[in-house]
Amino acid sequence: MKITIIDYGMGNIKSIIGALKYLEVKDITVSSNLSEIASADKLILPGVGSFPMAMTNIIKLNIDKYLEEAVIINKKPILGICLGMQLMGVSSSENVFCNGLGFIQGINREFNNSNLKVPHIGFNQIDIVKNSILFQDLDNFSDFYFVHSYQMTSDDNINQSICHYGHDFIASYEKGNIAGVQFHPELSQTNGLKLLNNFIKYF
Amino acid sequence: MLRKRLIFTLIYNNGFFTQSRNFRLQKVGDIGWLEKNYGFKDLAFSLDELIVLNASREDKDIMGFAEILSRLVEDVFIPICAGGGLRCMKDAEILFANGADKIILNTAIYENKNLVVDFIKRYGSQSIVASVDYKKNDVFLRNGTKKIDIKLPDYMDYIDSLGVGEVYLNSMDNDGTGFGYDIETSKKVANNISMPLIIAGGAGNENHLLKGLMTEQIDAVATANLFNFIGNGLPRARQSIISNNGNIALWQ
Repeated sequence: MKITIIDYGMGNIKSIIGALKYLEVKDITVSSNLSEIASADKLILPGVGSFPMAMTNIIKLNIDKYLEEAVIINKKPILGICLGMQLMGVSSSENVFCNGLGFIQGINREFNNSNLKVPHIGFNQIDIVKNSILFQDLDNFSDFYFVHSYQMTSDDNINQSICHYGHDFIASYEKGNIAGVQFHPELSQTNGLKLLNNFIKYF
Repeated sequence: MLRKRLIFTLIYNNGFFTQSRNFRLQKVGDIGWLEKNYGFKDLAFSLDELIVLNASREDKDIMGFAEILSRLVEDVFIPICAGGGLRCMKDAEILFANGADKIILNTAIYENKNLVVDFIKRYGSQSIVASVDYKKNDVFLRNGTKKIDIKLPDYMDYIDSLGVGEVYLNSMDNDGTGFGYDIETSKKVANNISMPLIIAGGAGNENHLLKGLMTEQIDAVATANLFNFIGNGLPRARQSIISNNGNIALWQ
């Protein structure tokens, strides 16, 4: 099993590598090269930080084109984590309007309830609303670690699980070979390790 | 439902982890000692988050600290916040590259606003924690050695305007006493800010942790008390908080 973690210069990749090693993935690569993306069995799109800055880096490195080929044409399994999950959506209104990769019909917006503390930080419970590969063997309302100020919603019913903070938003989606989680499985103790293991083995 | 958090703060000082009492540091052991005697990696399974502070007072050796950090967080699957004496973007880069998910800033919050703004721009507000050391209504910088002219409520307004992600509020009077948190001041501060609040300073037993977590305005409790909570103290405290209906995460 070869997993390539897409490197576009943002986010703590070390904890994802640590979790994959712990789960005994033999071949882990961190790269933005076409050949490393094309030769991987599965891809992880990580990310923490600003959406517009991430898209700028991705386009500069041609990663949008490489991913289009790997994910849309060749149907390689991909897991987006946190900002990576949001980047696969259509757009974000973070600071300015910005187009995403557009693999998923999701729109990212800021939490806009003035009574809420933003960012949404900490473990929160997940409501699994559809049969899910990622949540296999995990109970409904399991706890996962979130840290984000923007959240994804969709008119397209893509949500596999939802989370509630002020209102409901998409905690995860699974559409064919494309999956995304708003929370950080690599920072969610044994619950997160189980979910990553499900991605590695079954997705 | 959003859970509250139980956080451990490890205080590092020139090669050793220390116990702090009213900001006087007492050497406890190095990383080998921590791993050998306390099975730190197992212990992390009782925590929601780990903060690692570099409190070295003379020469802040960021590279040495980063090496320890990197070793410490291997096989630890919770968010890691690290900091202490960060002076430039490069310092932050080193910590993020060695396992930090967030950085914690104290003196720079007041003395180097431009740097804080740059950190927020680069890493996002959710990655930046503002640490505040206070005594009554006074705020102190540089490991509690330098008092500033701004009083605590005004200082919190200032922090709220910066756009950092969280506040770590540490009572210097209660620090290391084991007598419990300063809940009253914490509540007042929480009502003044729009981001999550972590309180620290004074927890001596699991009831103190529980009392903090049961306070509506407080999002997380932290303890740096190596003596009271290392060993089976933390797993026991977590279990006790859960059986007393404290709102913290459950893991399968």
